[in-house]
Amino acid sequence: MYSGINISQTDARPMYQQIMEQIRARIAAGDWPAGKELPSIRALAAALSVSVITTKRAYLDLENEGVIVTRHGKGSFVADVNGLAGELQEEKLDEHLAAAAGIGQQLGLSDEDLAARLRRAIRNVDKK
Amino acid sequence: MTPTKHIEMLNVRKAFRFFTLEDLSLNLEPGQIMGLVGPNGAGKSTTIRLLTGLLAPDAGEIRVLGHAMPEAQALAKRDIGFVSDEMRLFGHATFGWHMKFISSIYPDWDEQYAKTLVQRFGLRPEQNVSGLSSGEHVKAVLLLALARRPRLLILDEPTSGLDPVARHELLSEFMDVLRDENRSILFSSHNTVDVERISDRITFIDRGRLIDSSDKEDFLERWRRIQLQLPAGATLPDLPHLVSRVDDGQFVTLTTNRYSEDLLAFLGNGVRQVQRMNLEEIFVANVMHHRELRGK
Amino acid sequence: MNMLTSKLIAKEFYLHRWLIIGSTIAGVVGLLIAAEGKVRFNIGMLMWLTTIVAFGIMLAMISIGNERKERTLQFVLSLPLSHGDYVRIKVVGLLLCFLVPWTVLGVGAVTLVLVMPNLPDGLLPFAVLLCGFFLANYSLVLCSALHTASEGVMTLVIITTNMGITLFIFMIGAIPSLNDHLFAPAPVWNSTFWTVLGVEAATLVITLSLPYFVAARRRDFT
Repeated sequence: MYSGINISQTDARPMYQQIMEQIRARIAAGDWPAGKELPSIRALAAALSVSVITTKRAYLDLENEGVIVTRHGKGSFVADVNGLAGELQEEKLDEHLAAAAGIGQQLGLSDEDLAARLRRAIRNVDKK
Repeated sequence: MTPTKHIEMLNVRKAFRFFTLEDLSLNLEPGQIMGLVGPNGAGKSTTIRLLTGLLAPDAGEIRVLGHAMPEAQALAKRDIGFVSDEMRLFGHATFGWHMKFISSIYPDWDEQYAKTLVQRFGLRPEQNVSGLSSGEHVKAVLLLALARRPRLLILDEPTSGLDPVARHELLSEFMDVLRDENRSILFSSHNTVDVERISDRITFIDRGRLIDSSDKEDFLERWRRIQLQLPAGATLPDLPHLVSRVDDGQFVTLTTNRYSEDLLAFLGNGVRQVQRMNLEEIFVANVMHHRELRGK
Repeated sequence: MNMLTSKLIAKEFYLHRWLIIGSTIAGVVGLLIAAEGKVRFNIGMLMWLTTIVAFGIMLAMISIGNERKERTLQFVLSLPLSHGDYVRIKVVGLLLCFLVPWTVLGVGAVTLVLVMPNLPDGLLPFAVLLCGFFLANYSLVLCSALHTASEGVMTLVIITTNMGITLFIFMIGAIPSLNDHLFAPAPVWNSTFWTVLGVEAATLVITLSLPYFVAARRRDFT
């Protein structure tokens, strides 16, 4: 069922965070579309063989982030916020660009050089 | 259903010749799993025996599923599945005989589920119990308890001696029990990895006393190891909630059970690393700390 | 509660089925051998005697002593019953298990005396008292097993009761009012007979009810 989500106890990050990241990733990728019902806290706990308190915390934090919405008595759903998936992707993009900018600075590249590299990367992606 | 606590122990005392369980208070809500953790001889088995009516307390109150123990144990045990690693089935009967025996006593026996578990655990009903390996025997006893679908499962070292595959299967079954928010599990174990994974609450016991009882996430968030490098001549201010401190020249390793952002800020620039602690590390640090305190 | 009681009693029979069947057969064989004649009579009767006694001891020891040692006690106590229930069911179940071979062999012995021409019917009171002794002896062993966890004490009880059998037979031979009529053609039911029977019955009642008042009240098991 949810064998796609994996919790590692040897990972440095706490279990609830691992769950959150993997859920966010699926939402961002579009695998879990807006409005999709999430498994109940207990069902997810049983599927992952993880304590209920952990899945509860993951859902709570995801809700605080606005990624999911919990309707009392009905369940939890992927937040029906327009372009939420896009928002998460855009955040990721900004992170990557910030990192690239930082490295570019370390290498001493000019703005034009950096832009040229970006255009090259885009062309490579198009080729694939 | 009334939200009665599944387990209530209040100031329980039980004295033996060389060991006393003192002032033990414990609560388990429906829908929860509690892990009971402690060194050998700490009193885990004694606690469990008190909960299942095998022993009567010298002082204090025990209520399980709302029933006073040990007085009302006949009633309480209709809904409790108790499995201990010391328990043995009758050697001169087959496992199948045991299944029939239990199913005829408990009306909630789920035959379909029992068949599924027999397959999953790789047991053979026609086999004599005396011929089972210790691992198979544990699985057999657990099957007899699980297939009844009891409201409360009390397990004393349920996975001891099991291979990793069997442990994985069992943990999966335990978590399946928790799909129902009206059921709960109390289990004692040395396997801190498993306890850390599936417990909602964790209770530490050492030398007959309860040292700590809290939500698992609470433990994992509160405990940290902090490594600092102090410039020459600098001293650390007096810190509350310090469990241990190890000095190695300029380097200091602190263990705290009340970690917060404020503490981090308070410690300032010398902090080199903050490490989370897993349950085993917390367990050892906690026990050592309390033994020190009691020594004083 | 009744369902559980009958299931647990049935379990006693099931677990000890070979012991029950084996002892009954051995005892009957002993009786048949005894029917053959003089020397064989002694052998046969000895076999009959030993069977009943050994069976009783093994039943009590295995079922109670082993249950404790083999940790099946924890399994039984995990069932929905109280400590008192456990003790009561044990007493009834094990008594019934013993009564099966005891009845067969007792009736067999009485029949032997009545049917065999070379066995005077005067032996009948003796046979009855002997059977009564076995029953009282067994319930004493049973009662002890329920009250002590010590193997040492149990061994002592068993040795003592074994000696008791010899003493009993010797005593019967020594009391004139019983001894005189042993080989009479018709059975003599005199007051001595009733007295001894009364003592056996009293022992039976005491040893079977003691568990209900003492062992059943125990609050700690293991």
